[in-house]
Amino acid sequence: MSEHHITPLRTYLIIAASLLFLSGVTVWVSYIDLGPLNIVVAMLVATIKASLVAFFFMHLLWDDKKNLTMFLMSLMFFGIFVTITLLDTEFRGDLDLNPEVKDPINKRAVFYDTLPLTDTHGHPVDEHSDNHHEDKDHH
Amino acid sequence: MSENIKQNYLNHPKGLMSWLLTLDHKRIGLMYLVSGILFFFLGGLLALVMRMELAAPGNDFISNDTYNNVYTLHGAIMIFLFIIPAIPGALGNILLPLMVGAKDVAFPRLNLASFYIYSFGALFAMYTIINGGVDTGWTFYTPYSTQSTSNVVPMTLGIFIIGFSSILTGLNFIATVHKMRIPGLTWYKLPLFVWALYGTSLVQITATPVLAITMVLLMLERFLGIGIFDPALGGDPVLYQHFFWFYSHPAVYIMILPAFGIISEIIPVHSRKKIWGYKFIAYSTLSIAFIGFLVWGHHMFTSGQSVFSQIVFSFITYFVGIPTGVKIFSWILTMYKGQVSFTPPMLYALSFLFLFTIGGLTGIFLGAVALDIHLHDTYFVVAHFHYVMQGGTIVAFLGGLHHWWPKSFGVMYNQTIAKICAFGVFLGFNGTFFPQFLLGLRGMPRRYATYSEEFVELHSYSTFWSGILGISIFIAIMNLFWSFIKKNKVDPGSNPWGGMTLEWTHTSSPPHPHNFEEEPVLEHGPYDYDKVIVEKTYK
Ligand code: HEM
Ligand SMILES: [Cu+2]
Repeated sequence: MSEHHITPLRTYLIIAASLLFLSGVTVWVSYIDLGPLNIVVAMLVATIKASLVAFFFMHLLWDDKKNLTMFLMSLMFFGIFVTITLLDTEFRGDLDLNPEVKDPINKRAVFYDTLPLTDTHGHPVDEHSDNHHEDKDHH
Repeated sequence: MSENIKQNYLNHPKGLMSWLLTLDHKRIGLMYLVSGILFFFLGGLLALVMRMELAAPGNDFISNDTYNNVYTLHGAIMIFLFIIPAIPGALGNILLPLMVGAKDVAFPRLNLASFYIYSFGALFAMYTIINGGVDTGWTFYTPYSTQSTSNVVPMTLGIFIIGFSSILTGLNFIATVHKMRIPGLTWYKLPLFVWALYGTSLVQITATPVLAITMVLLMLERFLGIGIFDPALGGDPVLYQHFFWFYSHPAVYIMILPAFGIISEIIPVHSRKKIWGYKFIAYSTLSIAFIGFLVWGHHMFTSGQSVFSQIVFSFITYFVGIPTGVKIFSWILTMYKGQVSFTPPMLYALSFLFLFTIGGLTGIFLGAVALDIHLHDTYFVVAHFHYVMQGGTIVAFLGGLHHWWPKSFGVMYNQTIAKICAFGVFLGFNGTFFPQFLLGLRGMPRRYATYSEEFVELHSYSTFWSGILGISIFIAIMNLFWSFIKKNKVDPGSNPWGGMTLEWTHTSSPPHPHNFEEEPVLEHGPYDYDKVIVEKTYK
């Protein structure tokens, strides 16, 4: 705050090049299936990029440290949100006996189009009857 | 001196434009107060319509569809238009600068902008009503909210806009607490209401953006068919609930923290005793604000989230009870061996202790996964959140209004009527909502316009007492405003309860347009009843 920091052009160019490089990484990595790590890697790269912009282009690195605290806090809360949500989505259906409902996200769409509805034990159910939630007691 | 004292923020400067374009935090606070109370009455009216319908089974008063609209609007108006913006906006705005000895908030123009952004958002919500309502419930759960033909878009747009007002107010308050304190007013000498507003503001600026994102995602899905929440498009409906509750659980602390702050002011002043455990109360505010971000999944125990995260959320939810309990015990210990006087504000504070404790404890019940599987979406939940939001926040708000009314507006209400109303609120509230715990335990689901015969007795009982509650609140607020009309002025130097914080000791009632005639000099801490004698003066 007290003095105006002047960044050499070189730094800007290096940062810009790194941003371009990281964009390339994002595209490249999206072709590799890392399973649950897909989102983690994508988020990590995006966070690094955003941080570079904030620190160098927006001068956060040389700014009042309170502003830095705010920035880190928002990162922390965002981290909490994503991490705990992943505890749900990555473990969805963890006690469910039907393997097909284990991972409803994305696969669900395929489900709807191609598969007949099944009950929690994998038995086919008539779509129009009301009793497809009923438990089959004979199991 | 006397010339100056006649000049106060209410009568100087004059004219409509001086109000509409005012940068004075007290005037802005008053505008928030009036609009907030109007929405409170509107929301209350909708509540009474629901109770009328539920007085007997069957659809004798309104149709199912109307009922769906009424409960949605009731919830959305009370939460997004009244409690969240108006309580920090009204009491926070009026009191924060006075309490830290400042001339105004850090950014007065931004403050006025917040008010207009809030009004602009409220217009969208009002448009929703004129245009036929919205029927999704205040939570706007997908997939219904992306399919419903009711006014989901204007309502969520309104909420989106009001969110920005919350963020800007939060920012303004944080800057005010950091930058505008008079010399010597260190963090541990701040009144606890200031700590509470600070904690609230932190939650507002960190949580509200997520609400905005949620509303945007909802609209993207509705308009552009981008699959985020809809499984048919490759989305995940439960993800909506994660987004929504990541904001809305912290938001319940946006609602309750200012109330905690109000109670921390009322109890020591009306017990004439130093607050017990100042630092405990201050830090419990911050820890509640933080833990509040880790428990949102307790609203989703039956939504099909993974069992692993259910266990994690259930476990963390219990921790909320610790800082909350710390506060309750500190307030009780403050009264111990004090000189408690049963003034109207104190009656509300005592009601708060009783009602909030019931609300908080039943929250812990609901945080237990195994029990919540049965109680989720029943009247037990309805009773829980009314005990915390109405029995807690609104009762504290009424207490705060009665406490600071002579200070803020220089007039005194009829105290006998105020006390009778405080009793009416307490009885009416318990009569209305206690039966709802029993209804919930017996399996009465929420959000239904009708019910089976066995619930008749409890429902009609609840409806009867809701009438008493409504009338008591209405008269209590009218009693306040009546003191304006009757011009029942208090002496500008009055300190009717013997308060010790700067707004009582260093400025007139109502305050000078610039708050203090000269920068106040701090002479003692906010609750030093053990060291200094402050006279109760009331003329
Ligand atoms: C002691 C701390 C608290 C705990 C442990 C707690 C816990 C819970 C739980 C587990 C639920 C979900 C019940 C269900 O849907 O099955 C719930 C609902 C709710 N709570 Fe609390 N709560 C607490 C305090 C509060 C406070 C202070 C407020 C507001 C001022 C609040 C407002 C609400 C609301 C509005 C709902 C219902 C939301 C809805 O589904 O419409 N709670 N609470
Ligand atoms: Cu919650």
